[in-house]
Amino acid sequence: MTELVRLTDVTKVYQGGITGALSSVSLSIEQGEFTAVMGPSGSGKSTLLNLIAGLDRPTSGDVVVGGTDLGALDEAGLARFRRDHVGFVFQFFHLLPNLTALENVLIPAQLKGRENADSRGRKLLERLGIADVADRYPARLSGGQQQRVAIARALINNPTLLLADEPTGALDTHSGEQVMELLAQLHRDGQTILLVTHDAKLATRQASRVVSVRDGKIVDDARLESKERATSEVVRVRGEEASR
Amino acid sequence: MTAILVKAVSDLKRRRLPAVVIFITTLLAVGTGTMALTLLSQTHDPYQSAFEAQRGAHLQVAFDSRTDPQAIAGTAQLLGTTASGGPYSATSLEFQAGSRKFSMDTFGRDDPGGLVEQLRLSSGRWPSSNDEIALTRSFSELNNIPIGEKLKVVSVPQEPVLTVVAQVVDIDEGSADLSSQHAWMLSSAIPAVTGKNSAFYLMTYRFATDPSSAQLHADVDRLRATLPPGSVTGSVNYILIRNVFNITNQIVTSVLIAFSVFALLATAAIAANLVTGIVISAYREIGIMKAVGFTPRQVVTVFELQILIPAGAACLVGIPTGTLASQPLLANSSHALGLAYTPSFSFPLDLVALGSALLIVALAALLPALRAGLLKPAVVIANASAPRGRSGRGLRRFAAHVRLPRPIVLGIGDAFARPTRAILTLVAILLGVATITVALGLPRSFTAINNSETHAGNVDVVVRKSPALADADALAIINAQPETARVVAETGDNFTVPGIGDPVNARIFRGDSSHLGYMLVAGRWFSGPGEVLAPKALLQDAHLWIGDHFTASVHGSAVPLVVVGEIYDIDNLGLSLFMDWGTLSPVEADVTPDAYLITLAPGASVDAYVRHVAAAQPDLLDVQPNNTSIIGPVKIIDTVLLILAIVIALIGVAGIFNTLLLNTRERVRDTATLKAVGMSPRQVTAMVAASAGLIALVGGIIAVPAGVGLHRYLLDLISVSAGNDTPPAAYAVFGPLELVAIPVIGVLVAVAAALIPGRWAARTNVVEVLHAE
Repeated sequence: MTELVRLTDVTKVYQGGITGALSSVSLSIEQGEFTAVMGPSGSGKSTLLNLIAGLDRPTSGDVVVGGTDLGALDEAGLARFRRDHVGFVFQFFHLLPNLTALENVLIPAQLKGRENADSRGRKLLERLGIADVADRYPARLSGGQQQRVAIARALINNPTLLLADEPTGALDTHSGEQVMELLAQLHRDGQTILLVTHDAKLATRQASRVVSVRDGKIVDDARLESKERATSEVVRVRGEEASR
Repeated sequence: MTAILVKAVSDLKRRRLPAVVIFITTLLAVGTGTMALTLLSQTHDPYQSAFEAQRGAHLQVAFDSRTDPQAIAGTAQLLGTTASGGPYSATSLEFQAGSRKFSMDTFGRDDPGGLVEQLRLSSGRWPSSNDEIALTRSFSELNNIPIGEKLKVVSVPQEPVLTVVAQVVDIDEGSADLSSQHAWMLSSAIPAVTGKNSAFYLMTYRFATDPSSAQLHADVDRLRATLPPGSVTGSVNYILIRNVFNITNQIVTSVLIAFSVFALLATAAIAANLVTGIVISAYREIGIMKAVGFTPRQVVTVFELQILIPAGAACLVGIPTGTLASQPLLANSSHALGLAYTPSFSFPLDLVALGSALLIVALAALLPALRAGLLKPAVVIANASAPRGRSGRGLRRFAAHVRLPRPIVLGIGDAFARPTRAILTLVAILLGVATITVALGLPRSFTAINNSETHAGNVDVVVRKSPALADADALAIINAQPETARVVAETGDNFTVPGIGDPVNARIFRGDSSHLGYMLVAGRWFSGPGEVLAPKALLQDAHLWIGDHFTASVHGSAVPLVVVGEIYDIDNLGLSLFMDWGTLSPVEADVTPDAYLITLAPGASVDAYVRHVAAAQPDLLDVQPNNTSIIGPVKIIDTVLLILAIVIALIGVAGIFNTLLLNTRERVRDTATLKAVGMSPRQVTAMVAASAGLIALVGGIIAVPAGVGLHRYLLDLISVSAGNDTPPAAYAVFGPLELVAIPVIGVLVAVAAALIPGRWAARTNVVEVLHAE
């Protein structure tokens, strides 16, 4: 397997405190993996995701994605990197309210200069089961539909890495399960996915690897060979979290 | 109340930049408004004060030299005056100061005091011998003729030399840059300096109360009826002189008032925009305020205070600044009137400025503040900001259809996403661009009018002839110059026109005068004897139209005339006539030119020509290059216009900056999302700039015709105040390319103004913004 993401001794300290910081984290993610990052609130899991996405810069250490050292890129370079290599799915969807579903999906392609991405956008919406809402505005979509649109937007440029930050956090159980099933399908189609979630069951049901983060450090890195083992691993980690 | 103040002040500290925008725009609006109000209130009184202090004449009448002085003296009683001066023996004196020659009505007076028209000596002493002369200070300063200067009289063969011994302020004549001037000598000195046909008498009259124009015209009519025909040769009343004194300030005041209203409107638009923006972005905060106990009225007060505090601070600075800025113009007025300048202002009007400014911005902020006050807490706490409509979708789709880059498409869509905000911004831009259009056009119109009055481009040299030199001799000298291409001789005379109280000054031309460059409002130039042109004031007062026949009189002889055109001429505020030599010559056999307007052959040197002609007759000809420079008052108006244009343009820029600031802050989450999905900082900046550019473009496209219309309106206003209609040529001062360039420049300025909020947007910290949800 080819290494897609490598974090080497990455530390992130925010001004005014250490909450949410990472401390000497090293991590490698291979192409085609579906990795779930789990941890309590403030453990640093979203920070980890942001560093990999090039949305934030580490205080020290190196972040290399697809062979690109993100530390060597300026703001414009990071924007190009995100556009070309990363798809990002947010907890609160973050669709642009004044654009239709299809227009939202097409934005990253158009920013890349691909003005004729309409057919790919529509195909993605169809694949995600929301072709019928292509011309609707976000305000007229359900939470699940909005998140599917956000996933389609993340996929429009064929990203090498799909990052999802609590993608089910703002959804009801049913919609959340649908979204996770969608991500699993994408993974089965070869998409590398890095998922941050609180939901251990959702994570272990779909992810092939679960990285547990606490107090800015990776405390567990479990490659799941079977669903049973995965559940027990996760229960262990969750138990530790509960006892803190 | 404490909680309201604490909240309002803390919000102001948090929103410093919008507060600065309100401060600056209010400061500019209130400053110009105060300047206008101060000028308006302070310019009428000084003239009136000086008129009373110097016992100004309500009426001055010139009488033919053949009229019996005793009969003239008796007219004071006839008119029921309370005081009179004269009859003063007078002559039209021509003198040479250095290389320059001047013509001036000179009166014999042994005393500067008296019961009417007291002359105030600003320097020197009253003439005590026959070789001394007193000039007006206005004339002396304009032509740089100091006390002690020697003047050679060239209108009589003896050519006596006079010494300037006094500079005086005369309340009964306008300033030297706007009207002809008087001079004074001892009455015993007048006969020796009186040339052929240049003698006359002057009487000055003062009444118990200020008479109306109609009353004065009736008085002149009574004089005409009582005295032998042709006795009254001219008259002027104090109303005309007061208007001449005040015309600059009147025009400046009109322009200032118009533009201060504009500035206040623009400020109101910005204030409304600002509060709307704050309310939209502070939805959740408003809900929290209400949840902790703020009443709707208190919420409204908090938002009102956020506008009123910076606006009030701006008034505290702007009102004194406006008052100070008006002082140079007031000082100029006082100086012209010979009054000691004392800084003056009107405290009640300053209070009006303060109250009006605060009321306007408070009203502008009221609607959006009321909206905040009426929001339901439970609803707004759940929303970070107000929901957005779908406005701008059509524009965005059009932009996408023409395949503009996506950041530009998004920016264009954002421009009108909040229609009210966009409209308020358009108002500010519209006012700014319209003002610039006016500021560009009016000086050009003034220049065009000035060029027509001074024959710029049509006359190269003006030769003034002493009465002592025969017309034929002067012409022989001029025609002997090979560079002479065209000569138009000019003289003046006073005609009595039915319906006009005072005799009307007529300009009479010999030669091809149609090429002198006068601006016609309507009709055509005269083509022969009996045909005349006149400005609007004369046509209106005499109830004449183009094509009308009427009979005027000159020197007691009736002259049948027909109006063939309306001309633009500000001399005597539009009371003048233009006619051919052949109209006067049958009734005035010995009419002779005062001046020759000469056009040189192409390539000829004006200076060399002037030297040659002057050398041929150094004493009896005054040869000067045609002076086409713009008069002082017009320069003042041009300067005021320029300043106003800059002020209002700045307000327009502040308006667009304010809108972009609000848009950028309101859409920070969208911007963060766009950055997260790959929008580069440059693309973010381009998106914001596109939004600004579109609003500016729409504003500019609307504003240019509005500005052209406003230019016409103001020009008409100014023309009317000078007794004229505006000639079509004075309107046509904009080139088509310029009219296109103005909105384009507006777009460039708006894009430049967008760079700061654009950069802020480009620097949006995605992580902070998106995780603050």
